Amino acid sequence: MANRTPAAQRPNGSTQGKICQFKLVLLGESAVGKSSLVLRFVKGQFHEYQESTIGAAFLTQTVCLDDTTVKFEIWDTAGQERYHSLAPMYYRGAQAAIVVYDITNQDTFGRAKTWVKELQRQANPNIVIALAGNKHDLMNKRMVEYEEAQAYAEENGLLFMETSAKTAMNVNDIFLAIAKKLPKNEQTAGPGGSGQGRRLVEGDTGAKTAGNCCK
Amino acid sequence: MSPSLLQDPEMHFGAVTFFAKEHKGETCGSNGLPLTPNSIIIYGRAQILKTIKHPNLCQYLDIIRGKHERTVIVSQYCGEQLSNFLNKGLFTILDIKRIAYQIFSGLNEIHLKKITHRCLSPENILLQENNSIKLFNYGLFHMTDNGKLVSFPIIQLIYTAPEVYLDGVSGNLSNPKVDIWSVGIILAELVLDKPLWQSLKLGQRIRKILSLVQGNTSVFERIAREHNCYEKYQDLSSDLKVIIEDCLNILPQHRPTVAEILKNPIFDKFKDVPDTNRSKICDKFEKFTIEELYHWWQLAGGEVLLELKKQGLIRSSPPILSVPKMVLIDGSILGQERNPSSLYDPRVIPMPLESLYQRFSHINTYSYYPLIHFKSEILASVEPSPYDAEKLPLVIREKDPEYQFHRIILFRRLLHGYPYTKQEIFKEAKRDIPPLLRGSIWASLLNLKSNYEQEYTVIDKETPTPTDRQIEVDIPRCHQYNELLSSGEGHKKLKRILKAWIYKNSQYVYWQGLDSLTAPFLYLNFNDEAKAFACLSSFIPKYLHNFFLKDNSAIIQEYLAKFSQLIAFYDPVLANHLQTINFIPELFAIPWFLTMFSHVFPLHKILHLWDKLLLGDSSYPLHVGLSILAQLRDTLLTSGFNECILLFSDLPEVDMEQCVNHSLESYASTPKSITARSHQNEEYEEITLSDIQSISVQQLNKEKCPRICVNDVIALIRNSPNEVIIVDIRNPLQFNRCSVKGSLNIPFSSVKFGDINIENIGTYSTVLKNQEKKIVVIVGTEDTNLELFPKYLLQCNVAKVCVLHGGFNTFLPISPTILVQNQM
Ligand SMILES: Nc1nc2c(ncn2[C@@H]2O[C@H](COP(=O)(O)OP(=O)(O)O)[C@@H](O)[C@H]2O)c(=O)[nH]1
Ligand SMILES: [Mg+2]
Repeated sequence: MANRTPAAQRPNGSTQGKICQFKLVLLGESAVGKSSLVLRFVKGQFHEYQESTIGAAFLTQTVCLDDTTVKFEIWDTAGQERYHSLAPMYYRGAQAAIVVYDITNQDTFGRAKTWVKELQRQANPNIVIALAGNKHDLMNKRMVEYEEAQAYAEENGLLFMETSAKTAMNVNDIFLAIAKKLPKNEQTAGPGGSGQGRRLVEGDTGAKTAGNCCK
Repeated sequence: MSPSLLQDPEMHFGAVTFFAKEHKGETCGSNGLPLTPNSIIIYGRAQILKTIKHPNLCQYLDIIRGKHERTVIVSQYCGEQLSNFLNKGLFTILDIKRIAYQIFSGLNEIHLKKITHRCLSPENILLQENNSIKLFNYGLFHMTDNGKLVSFPIIQLIYTAPEVYLDGVSGNLSNPKVDIWSVGIILAELVLDKPLWQSLKLGQRIRKILSLVQGNTSVFERIAREHNCYEKYQDLSSDLKVIIEDCLNILPQHRPTVAEILKNPIFDKFKDVPDTNRSKICDKFEKFTIEELYHWWQLAGGEVLLELKKQGLIRSSPPILSVPKMVLIDGSILGQERNPSSLYDPRVIPMPLESLYQRFSHINTYSYYPLIHFKSEILASVEPSPYDAEKLPLVIREKDPEYQFHRIILFRRLLHGYPYTKQEIFKEAKRDIPPLLRGSIWASLLNLKSNYEQEYTVIDKETPTPTDRQIEVDIPRCHQYNELLSSGEGHKKLKRILKAWIYKNSQYVYWQGLDSLTAPFLYLNFNDEAKAFACLSSFIPKYLHNFFLKDNSAIIQEYLAKFSQLIAFYDPVLANHLQTINFIPELFAIPWFLTMFSHVFPLHKILHLWDKLLLGDSSYPLHVGLSILAQLRDTLLTSGFNECILLFSDLPEVDMEQCVNHSLESYASTPKSITARSHQNEEYEEITLSDIQSISVQQLNKEKCPRICVNDVIALIRNSPNEVIIVDIRNPLQFNRCSVKGSLNIPFSSVKFGDINIENIGTYSTVLKNQEKKIVVIVGTEDTNLELFPKYLLQCNVAKVCVLHGGFNTFLPISPTILVQNQM
């Protein structure tokens, strides 16, 4: 599926456009719709019977922002608490994170807060965190108020949007908002850097190598 | 002649079809997921009917979903409708009593299972050539959830009890007493030898039944008078008369239950000799069953839907005709012609068996009785296989009616003899497993005990636990493309099995993935939850020992480390590439092994994979992983990290047969100690001694090549000296004093490890270069570095490198015979 990676690495005609690569991780309780958000963003699809994620899944997608091409390397993680021990392997060195909860389930919002705390403590200090209240289409079953989540996000300096992987509402927007907020002042290598994955591996001091793009 | 064995008058089947109710308007349930189509709910509910086996009931065989919520029910269908025999003076009172007895016996069986027939009528009662009775279509009411899932009423005019009409025809009155009324009317017809109220229109007939509610004289008597048969009524012996009158009580609570009726002494003479003496352990043996006949029929080209089309039961009308005239914003539809075929069509289409008889006409009678035990091995080996298909691909063999005939006949005999036939089952399963009997064959390969049902029954599967939420969100994501697993019944069953397993194994916890692991067992044993549970319970300790511990990292780490070593052993080029791009198994192989691939492949592939897995031990999955990599090898070798990980996030098509064959090969040719783990379950694996498993994970991760134990090395030297190269890396002095005959001495200290070039190791480089067949065993001592040299060979792309665990000295006590002095 390597060719799924969009061809947009060469931004429309302009040769001097910057190309940035960012590692983004999705976190949140199981079944809140992390995989569905990624699937919507990357392939524009929605599967009612999305399979559960074991371990983690990896996908990439590119977006264009003015003269910059931003390539997201997305790690979609398993939601179950038990897989928690694997999570640091994925968020270590990530420049962005989307913490997802399900607006119809209060517990998932609580879990999201825990993730935010953990990221603030353990992840890359400059990490851009977005909070996504997913399943907006099930509004009539809402259990988490918009205002409540908004206030929490503001307090903690998070981007915040309510999304729906099903209707596609705010899905691209949240990724774009993250892309905008990421520092892009220093341009680096460009596409096709195999070996990027190195930063993932324990022992390789992730945080250090990770930033070598777009910092 | 042999076909006579197939041509049993009761071995016939037919099909009926109807439409499930379509969901109107709303398409999403409260959980945001789409509503399960009613045809799927019916599909799930009807499965249990297939397990009902009784001489007075037609056996259910299959449920097929067609287009637009069409449901087709395939069931045994033999003999002739009882309605054809009325009005002909054919039955004596004794006959009628026998018929009554058999109807009640059949009813008793379903009532015990909490199933109400609700559409009993002389059309649904089949009289066999041998004068026995079989009830038909008794599951319609049950499978449609008491009629709720269909848009037509489930009634049989005069045979339907008055309270059903009073409840409203769309009601779903399921009191089994309604069936008693129906039998009452049917017996009255038989006694009077007349179809009742035949001249009346349909609506009038219903009104007639309702009119019976008024008045307090005997219903039977009134019916008799109305049909000018009062004498017959009067002459009827009182024993039968009482039963009919009891059945026709207006108030359901006054009607007797089937069990009460069956106690009536007038039926005593029909009761079989009680078979209390028959052994409980052993079911009655049948040469073959009607399920199997149906299976062969399908393989031989039989298609139920096609037959229904031929007979005009399924008609396709141009789609334009079904377009509604108006659709409102809320989704409701106006002006759509009601399709007459959406009503209930009582026609039953018998399925023609001639072509199957033809296809099997040359099969000998003794093929039905295959020889299983041979006194002499020689005789056994010359016995030709009854139908030679061995060389055909598995998928073809599975579709070949004749091959499946022989396989099924053989396996059902073997299964009948289980557990005494364990070894034979194992031996035959190595060839292949007939899909129809897979559930039972797997159960025997997993050594299921006969008391599995009791064990399951006593487990608490209901009390809520904190894990429930996780299970509930995972089940609707688990193999939902499959009709059984996506049906409501499927969800309920899966949840119960998972809860039972967690309850029973308190040392373990629910890890996501356990759902996928359970799915194949549930799919194969959908009507036997206890068996599915028992299979899971014996599968996990054997293949996933301790994988479901709350902290399983040590187990998984070790497993993955072994996997890396195995890749290095068989494919150094790939291993080196993956190492360079830092593509470690942690990133992709956890769902593979934690679920034994059940999370990554669709069910039909898992079944073929596990057919072989069940014949191996817990190291077999490592070889499966290896062969998946082998299939993707070319792509992997030319890809960087991102491309590789993308490839695994959405695994491309894997050719399962090739994967299975490849993995069986490497499994068979790999010495056991190469894949031995400290966390494997000792109960299931004979450990090739020594402390080879006691190596820490950190150490394992450092060692790029696997260790091998001395016994395996000696076995290699003795049994296949041409397939092993012993490389002794001790210094020449030690080597000269004592070494393995024929071993090569490449002193550790003589090699410059700086640049990667096989020539650096000296004269023997040509021996090691370009060879893939032979296992290269590195022999050192405790104080030679046992990591550097093998790693170096690996980097030089030398395949099959392993290290003798414990070093040279382990040879001394065990096998001095292969050692020599002064080899240089
Ligand atoms: N109605 C609705 N359902 C959603 C939405 N996003 C995900 N789902 C459903 O929620 C379930 C869990 O989604 P999934 O992406 O597997 O969640 P994950 O465990 O966080 O990755 C699936 O059945 C999805 O179809 C959404 O925006 N709206
Ligand atoms: Mg997921």
